[in-house]
Amino acid sequence: MSDQLSEQLQQLTEELARSEDADALYEVRVRYLGKKGSITALRRQMGKLAPEDRKAFGQAFNAVKVEAERAIETRRDALVSAAREADLARHEDLSMPGAHERELGTLHPITQTRRALEDIFARMGFAVKEGPHIEDERYNFDKLNFQPGHPARDMQDTFFVRPRSDARLVLRTHTSPVQVRTMLAHEPPIRVVAPGTVFRKDDDATHSPMFHQLEGLFVDRHVTMADLKATLYRFVGEFFGEGLNVRLRPSYFPFVEPGAEVDMQCPFCREEASGASVGCGLCKGTTWIEIAGSGMVHPHVFESCGIDPERYTGWAFGLGLDRMAMLKYAVTHLRLFFDGDVRFLEQFPC
Amino acid sequence: MLISLCWLNELLTTDGQAPLDATDVGVALTELGLEVEAETRAGEGLEAVIVGEIRAKEAHPNADRLTAVTVFDGADELPVVCGASNLPPVGGRVAFAPVGATLPNGLEIAAREVRGATSRGMICSEVELEIGPDGEGILVLDPSWSAGVRLVDCVAGLQDVVFEIGVTPNRPDALGHVGVARDLGVRFSRTVRADRLGGVEAWMGASVDPALVQLDAPSACGRYRGFALESLAVGPSPLWMRARLHRVGLRPINNVVDVTNFVLSEYGQPQHVFDRDQLEGGRVVIRSATAGETMTALDESELALDGADLVIADASRPQALAGVMGGAASMVTDASTRGLLEIAWFEPTGVRKSSKRHGLHTDSSHRFERQVDHGDLLDAAAGRALTLLETLAGATVVSRCEVQGEVPPAAEVTLRHARLEGLLGVSVPPAEVSRILAGLGVGCVVDGEGATSVYRCDPPSFRPDLALEVDLIEEVMRHFGIDAVPVEPAPTSGARGETLREPLYARAHSLVDAFRELGFHEHIGFAFTGSRELERFGGGAAIERAVEVANPLRSQHAMMRQSLLPSLLDALKLNHGRHGRRVALFELGRTYAWPDAPVKSASVTAAIDATLPTERLALAAALMPGRHGPAENARALAKVALDALGRVGCAARTRTPAGGDSHLHPGVQAGLEARDAAGVWHPVGVVGELHPEICRSWDLPDSGDIFCVTLDLHAIPAGDHGRLSALPRFPSTSRDVSIELPEEVAASSAMAVLGRLARARAAGDPNHPQISASDASGREIEALEDYRGDGVPAQRKAMLFRLSYRADARSVTDEEVQPLHEEIVAEAMSAFESEGWAPVRR
Repeated sequence: MSDQLSEQLQQLTEELARSEDADALYEVRVRYLGKKGSITALRRQMGKLAPEDRKAFGQAFNAVKVEAERAIETRRDALVSAAREADLARHEDLSMPGAHERELGTLHPITQTRRALEDIFARMGFAVKEGPHIEDERYNFDKLNFQPGHPARDMQDTFFVRPRSDARLVLRTHTSPVQVRTMLAHEPPIRVVAPGTVFRKDDDATHSPMFHQLEGLFVDRHVTMADLKATLYRFVGEFFGEGLNVRLRPSYFPFVEPGAEVDMQCPFCREEASGASVGCGLCKGTTWIEIAGSGMVHPHVFESCGIDPERYTGWAFGLGLDRMAMLKYAVTHLRLFFDGDVRFLEQFPC
Repeated sequence: MLISLCWLNELLTTDGQAPLDATDVGVALTELGLEVEAETRAGEGLEAVIVGEIRAKEAHPNADRLTAVTVFDGADELPVVCGASNLPPVGGRVAFAPVGATLPNGLEIAAREVRGATSRGMICSEVELEIGPDGEGILVLDPSWSAGVRLVDCVAGLQDVVFEIGVTPNRPDALGHVGVARDLGVRFSRTVRADRLGGVEAWMGASVDPALVQLDAPSACGRYRGFALESLAVGPSPLWMRARLHRVGLRPINNVVDVTNFVLSEYGQPQHVFDRDQLEGGRVVIRSATAGETMTALDESELALDGADLVIADASRPQALAGVMGGAASMVTDASTRGLLEIAWFEPTGVRKSSKRHGLHTDSSHRFERQVDHGDLLDAAAGRALTLLETLAGATVVSRCEVQGEVPPAAEVTLRHARLEGLLGVSVPPAEVSRILAGLGVGCVVDGEGATSVYRCDPPSFRPDLALEVDLIEEVMRHFGIDAVPVEPAPTSGARGETLREPLYARAHSLVDAFRELGFHEHIGFAFTGSRELERFGGGAAIERAVEVANPLRSQHAMMRQSLLPSLLDALKLNHGRHGRRVALFELGRTYAWPDAPVKSASVTAAIDATLPTERLALAAALMPGRHGPAENARALAKVALDALGRVGCAARTRTPAGGDSHLHPGVQAGLEARDAAGVWHPVGVVGELHPEICRSWDLPDSGDIFCVTLDLHAIPAGDHGRLSALPRFPSTSRDVSIELPEEVAASSAMAVLGRLARARAAGDPNHPQISASDASGREIEALEDYRGDGVPAQRKAMLFRLSYRADARSVTDEEVQPLHEEIVAEAMSAFESEGWAPVRR
C-alpha cells in the first residue's frame, strides 16, 4: 500500500512537470486528489488493512497527500512566475499614437486671460457680472457723466444700432454700463468685475472694431484710493508676477474723479538681481507699461445710479483683456486673435 | 503738445535757484498727469557753431555753383567752399561750423578738398543746425554780432529739451506753457513771473472805437477784444522767435503771424490778426453765418457756411470761421500795414461742431473746444501779443474795442478736509492743501482746523474743470503725490455673498471646458455679419429680426449675427487655405435678434431693457475633415455634444428632428435633447453634416467632410447633481435582437418604442424580472450595430439591439427571461409594423 502511495506521488510529480498551464494543473489535481482521484482511492482501501497497520498507513497517506498538494502549488507558482517573466519581457512602444487618441483642444488666449483675471478677483470677493452688448445710450454714456457733446458719442467713434423705438442704442463702447446696471439694481456694498465684448469704430493695425474689457467696481463705505492701489498691486502680482511695481498717474475719464492711468513695471526687461526694469522695446524704454484706467467713482455717476455719494465711496478700473493677453502671451498683432487659425490657437495650451 | 524746457524756465521765477532740470521736469510732468510721451534734446552740438564773418568771396575755380569764401572765425581767416546762393556780402555774418564740430544732425565737420579747393569748416543752414525749416540757403545772421562768438550765446534757448506731453481733455490750461509752468511751480515752489501775467493796462490809453467790434451772437462769443494796429512792418521774425517756434513744432511765417502763434503756445490763448485794409468798413461783426455764405480759408479750402457756424465778418462777408481758421482774403501779408488783433472767448461746443463739420482741426479750435480763459489770462495774452507786435513788427495801437457776451458763471466750491482724506486714504496737512490750491490760482478761505478744515474755494476761470469737490481733491492728489497714497486694502463689510457667476454663464464655462477637453480649439469671431449670411442661415425671418448697425465699417458688417456658424466657416476656410490640416473649432458667443414682442422684466432696468434686442448665448462647433466616414464623423461629433452636455449635469440624447435644419445635410443630422430635473426632455441644439450647398457658397470642399453642432445655452435645463438609487444587488442578463428596418428610421426612434413596451411590462414585484440598465453600460437598451449591405435590401438596414433584464430581489434565470424578451420583441414588431416600417426580424 505504501508502495502504491509513493508510486502515485511519483507519477503525479512527473505529470506536473509536463503540465504547462493552470488547466492542466487542475486536471492533474482532479485525477489524483479529487473525489475519484487515484490517491484518494487508496485512502478507501485503508479499511482492508489490519487495524494495527491502519495508523501507520493513515500517517503515510496524509504525508503523501500534503506532499502532493505542495507539489501542485510549487508547480503553479513556477508557472505563474514563468508567465510573469515572459510578460515582463514585452516591449511596447508608447511613443506611437494610440487607437483612440483624442488631442486636447485649447481655450482662446483671451478666454484664458479673462478666466485668470476672474479667478484673481473672485478670490478678492468679486462676483462676475454680464450685461448686454447692445445698450441704451443713457447707460453707455449719460449715466457715466459723458457730457452731451463728448466726442466718444460721435458716429465716427461709436457704432449705433437702428432702434425699433425712440431709444438711442449703441454697441457698448466699454463694459462700464454694467457698473450702472449693477448700481441701479443693488445697494452697496458692491464688488463686481464685468468682463466682456465691447465695440468701437476703429479698424487698423492696432485696433479692432470688437475687443474685450474687464471692468472692476467696488462701492462701500470708506472705500479709498489706497484700496484701489492695493487691489491693483494684487492683480498685477498675481497675473504678471510678484513684486512688480505699480504706478498711478493722474488722468481723466468722465466717470471717475480723481482719475488715474495705471502703469505696471515692465516685466519683460526686469533684471533678476535688482528686481528693477531696465527698458526694452515693449515698454519703449520707459520701464513702464500702461495697463488700465482707474479712479474714484464720480459723484455724478453715483447720483445718476441712485447711490448717495456722501454715504458711499467707490472705485472703478477698466482694462483691455486683449491687451493683457498680448502682454502675457507675447502676441504681436491684435488681428491674430480673431482669425481662428489653429496654428495660432494651439500655441496657448493653458 | 510740445513743451520747451527753456520756455518754462523763462516763465518761472528762480528766487536764486538753478533753472529746472530736464530729468526732474520730465518726472514731475508725468506725475502731475501731463504724461511725457517723448522727450527730445534739441541743439546738441550747437555750442561748437560760431558767428563767422565773410572776409572775401570769389567764384570757385572749378565749379560754377560753388563759392570760395574766406571766413573770419574771430581769430583766423579760413578758406571755406560754400554752395549757397544767398551768401551775404563781404562783412556779413553767417553761422560757421569749424573743423571738429559735430552738428545736431550728426554731421562731423572735417577739413576737405572740394574740387581742388580746400574747405576748412562749413557755413550752415537752419536745417543743418536744426533750428528752422529753411534748407534753401544758408542762415544769415545779424551783422552786428561779433565774429567768433558762439551762436548759442547770441540766441537764447537754442539748446533745449522738448517734451511731448499728453494733455487730457479736462486740462485746457495745460495747452500753453504758462499753465504747465504754473503746475510745475507748485511742485518746485516757484511761481509764474508776474510780468508775464500783466494785462492790457498799457494799452488802455488808446481810444475806444465802439464801431470796431460788433457782437451779434452773445451766446456764442463770451468775450472779444479787438485792437486796431497801424504802422505794421511785416517781415521775418528774429532768429530767437523762429527757433523757438520751430522747437514747439510751429512753422515761422512772418513776424505778425509768428507773434500770434508764439502767444498761443505760451498762454494757450489763440489770437488772430486781420489785415484791416482788407476788411470792408475796417471793422468786424461777430455773427452767425447765413446759409449759402462761403469763405476761402487760410489753407485755401472753400467753406460752405450755414447758420450753425459763428463767423467774424466784415461789413459784407465772413472773414474768419470763429475759433477755427481765418479767411484768405484778410490774412496778413508782407504788404499789410494796418491790422486788427482779435483775442476772444468762443463757446466750446459751437467751435467743436464747426471744426468737425468743416473737417478743420486747428491749434486754435483744439483750444477753444476745450475752453480757453475768458478772464485774466486772456488779457495777459493780449498784453503779451501787443508788446511783441510793437517790438518785432513796429505796431502801434490806434484804437480798441471790447465786447462781452455770455460766459460760464463762476461758482464757489467747498472742499472738506475729511472728505479729501476719506477718498484718498491718506492724511494730508491742511497747510499743504492751502499751498497747493493757492499755487494753482484757486482763491481759498479756510474755516476750521486740522481734519475739520473746510476750504471755500474760488476756482480761476482758466480751470473750467474745477467745478466739484472731487475736482479739487484730484488737484490736491496730483500735487501731494499719488505715490503718497498708501497701498492699503479697505476695511470692508465683505462681499455680498452672491454666486461667482450667473447660472447661464457658469454653464457656459463648463461647456467651453468640455469642448476644449474633447479636442476643439476655441475661436472668437466678430459679432457683425452681413445680410447674405443672415439669410443663408435663417432665411427671410432672420432679415426681419435683424439688428442693424446704423454706421457700419463695411456693408458685410452691417448686421449683428444670429448664428455663430458663418464666422466658424470663415475660419475653417482660412485654415483650409493656409495649411489644410484637420481643424476642430468652437465658439461661445452671443447672437442678436429683435424679439416678436418686447421682453418684459421686473428689474429696475426693465424700461430700458424692453427697447433692446434679445441677446442669446450660443455655442457652435465645426470640424473639417473628420477622421472617418460621414456617418461616423457626425456620430462622433454628436457624442462630443452629448458628453459636453453631460459635463453640465444634463442627461442628453440625440433625436432625429421632426423638421430638419436647413443648414445641415437633410439625411445626416440629429436634434440634441437634454433632460431637466423633472425628467422632461428639451431640444437644445442640432448636430450633423454641413449642407453641401453651404459648403459650395463658402467655397469649402463639399465632400461631406464638414460637421457642425450648435447649442442654445438658454434652452439647456439646469443640470442635475444626481441622487443615489440603490446599486443592483443581483446580476442582469441580456438578450439581443436583430431587426431589419428602413434606413431613415433612427435607432433612437426604434429604441424609444422598445423601451416604452419593455417598461410597460415592469411589475412592482421585486422578484419579477424586468428591463433594466445592465450593470456594465448603464443603458437598458443599446444599439449595437447598423448594418447595410449584403443580405439587406437597398434602403434598409439591420439593427442589432441588446436588452438587459434584472430583478431587484434575486438572480433571474434564462428560463424566465427568454419568454419575457420574446413577448416584448413581438409587441415591438407589431408596433414597428403599424409605424409603417415593415420590420423583419432576423
